[in-house]
Amino acid sequence: MIELKPGSKVDLTIGGQATVIKELGRGGQGIVYLVDLCGQKMALKWYLNPLGDKFYKNLEKNIQSGAPSDAFIWPEYLTLKTKGYYGYIMKLRPANYFEFGNFLLAKKNFKSFDAMLAAAMKICDGFMMLHRFGFSYQDLNDGNFFIDPSTGDVLICDNDNVMPQGEKSGIMGKARYMAPEVVAGGIPDKYSDRFSLSVILFMLFFANHPFEGAKVVACPCMTESYEKKFYGSEAVFIYNPNDKSNLPVRGVHQNVIRRWPVFPAILKDNFIQQFSQEKLKNPTTRMIEQEWQKLIAKVRDSLVVCPSCGEETFLDTTSDECKCMNCGKVVSIDRYIKIGSRSLILTPNTKLYIDNDNVADALVVSNPQDPSMLLIQNISGQKWTAETPSGKIKEIEPKGFMPVKTGIKISFSNISKGEIIA
Amino acid sequence: MSLLDEVVSVPRRTMTLFFMIDTSGSMMGNKIGAVNDAVVNVLPMLDEISETNPDAEIKVAALEFSNGASWLYSEPKLASEFVWQDVTAGGLTSLGEACSELNTKLSRSGFMQAASGSFAPAIILLSDGGPTDDYKTGISKLKNNNWFKAAIKVAIAIGDDADLKVLEEFTGSNEAVFTVHNIDALKQIIRVVAVTSSQIGSKSSSAGDATKQDQVVEEVKAQIENIDGAEAATQVDSSSYSDDWD
Ligand SMILES: [Zn+2]
Repeated sequence: MIELKPGSKVDLTIGGQATVIKELGRGGQGIVYLVDLCGQKMALKWYLNPLGDKFYKNLEKNIQSGAPSDAFIWPEYLTLKTKGYYGYIMKLRPANYFEFGNFLLAKKNFKSFDAMLAAAMKICDGFMMLHRFGFSYQDLNDGNFFIDPSTGDVLICDNDNVMPQGEKSGIMGKARYMAPEVVAGGIPDKYSDRFSLSVILFMLFFANHPFEGAKVVACPCMTESYEKKFYGSEAVFIYNPNDKSNLPVRGVHQNVIRRWPVFPAILKDNFIQQFSQEKLKNPTTRMIEQEWQKLIAKVRDSLVVCPSCGEETFLDTTSDECKCMNCGKVVSIDRYIKIGSRSLILTPNTKLYIDNDNVADALVVSNPQDPSMLLIQNISGQKWTAETPSGKIKEIEPKGFMPVKTGIKISFSNISKGEIIA
Repeated sequence: MSLLDEVVSVPRRTMTLFFMIDTSGSMMGNKIGAVNDAVVNVLPMLDEISETNPDAEIKVAALEFSNGASWLYSEPKLASEFVWQDVTAGGLTSLGEACSELNTKLSRSGFMQAASGSFAPAIILLSDGGPTDDYKTGISKLKNNNWFKAAIKVAIAIGDDADLKVLEEFTGSNEAVFTVHNIDALKQIIRVVAVTSSQIGSKSSSAGDATKQDQVVEEVKAQIENIDGAEAATQVDSSSYSDDWD
């Protein structure tokens, strides 16, 4: 029997059985069931059209090597084959995570740009860890990522198509997300993954596809051969400064038209780079994950909460006057923490990310006694040490506060030290 | 109001799924009943595929042919809005006229006028007999139609009297013709073919070499292995089945 019924049992390669409770969903490749495994609720992906032995062996190997990081919902147990059919068991996805496709369909929205940037960081981290383990994606698309809209935390699913680099699983990704050389028939590798990463990040930030502009809209029937052109051999970035043939279309690509102007130039310039003809055609020149993370960190440093309207805004601190992208009022950048070459602007309700763990470490708040004064709350798990201009040493415990006063030097950790300018 | 609250859905293409249903006299009774039942049941599944798909939305169009050919609705409709009116059987098998009618609508002035573009359509032809009109003229028109050329085309032959050669000519390959020998198989295959062709047809195509048509055929083949009384037309050994249509 190809499909499983509630109560059916599947045998695992490690011994023992899992019992099907109910169907959770189905896709092109198979059905996902809720199962009971020794009293624990897990998910079973059951292939309706199982691929050959190589695929099964690859799953077995991936299970042995374990998940590259906690961002992955990784295959944990494999079933024995029953008349050629099999599946694998993984953890259940928590209910507060939604498929990236839901964000593209505007059924789910990020609660904040802060959450959006956290998601971008986490996706980069996932790719980095995957490559560090020697794997690459084969079938990367919007169905792989599940995101918590309020925190931006990401779970990467469908990891059955992860293969050692240079090998081919037989499951090919969607042209829309694949690098031109893969669309043209090449084997996916970490370089093509990096292209896919740029596409995913672009769509995460701008909620439109980087190659879907006027040229693509003009195509009445997107046949497979046209797809191979528009996403492969003849792909043109919608904001390619040297080729304006594929600009976004008003009324169609609304999201990117609204958002492109407000994101920091460093991010936009980088997308222009990554989607330039040169990088489309030279896979090895594409940006690596760590560089993306550094860039996103810079973008995050420029994100503050506007004191006038209370919404988040990106600030271009190189311009003469920083204006809020929502209300247009000037945002003062007089108060900030200097950490090396970074300047973290201090406004009430702005979160500060000091280190690289993608978790906010500090929160700026108004002093309840005197709202013109600002305080910094330590929302990290670590104690900070501060030195006042007169040389006094203060400790700021987790959840504790410190005033924003010029000249105070803060040691957030052994390696990261900052100074307040106010 | 934050910029994030103003987000709208990404523009989606449209993928139209066409049902071409033989409603000639020989379909009368439980064959046509099974078709009606299967389509009604598959519509919510198509709606779900459409609702969760960032690449395209799925619309449905249905053409019935007997003495003539007529559309159930004058335009393609979202699966959620497609209220299926049971079709009734009686009369001849005007497949040629149905092909001409399909050819007219497979154009930007016909059904293919979605503002943000379309994917190639998927067309499912169901028949239990052979054409009684001049189908050659109809089919040759279709074969010059670019929408038709790019379309996913699958035919379901109902019983042993279906003219497999004609269905093969329509789909362009005998691999895409599937034969069913009982009511239950008919219902199941309508679901499998409609769901599979919608899933594959409404997604950005795969980066590999297999065409959408190939993928649909492969997947349907794999799934019908488990349907008793359904077979891919390539293994023409229907002698083991005795048709059962009572
Ligand atoms: Zn403002």
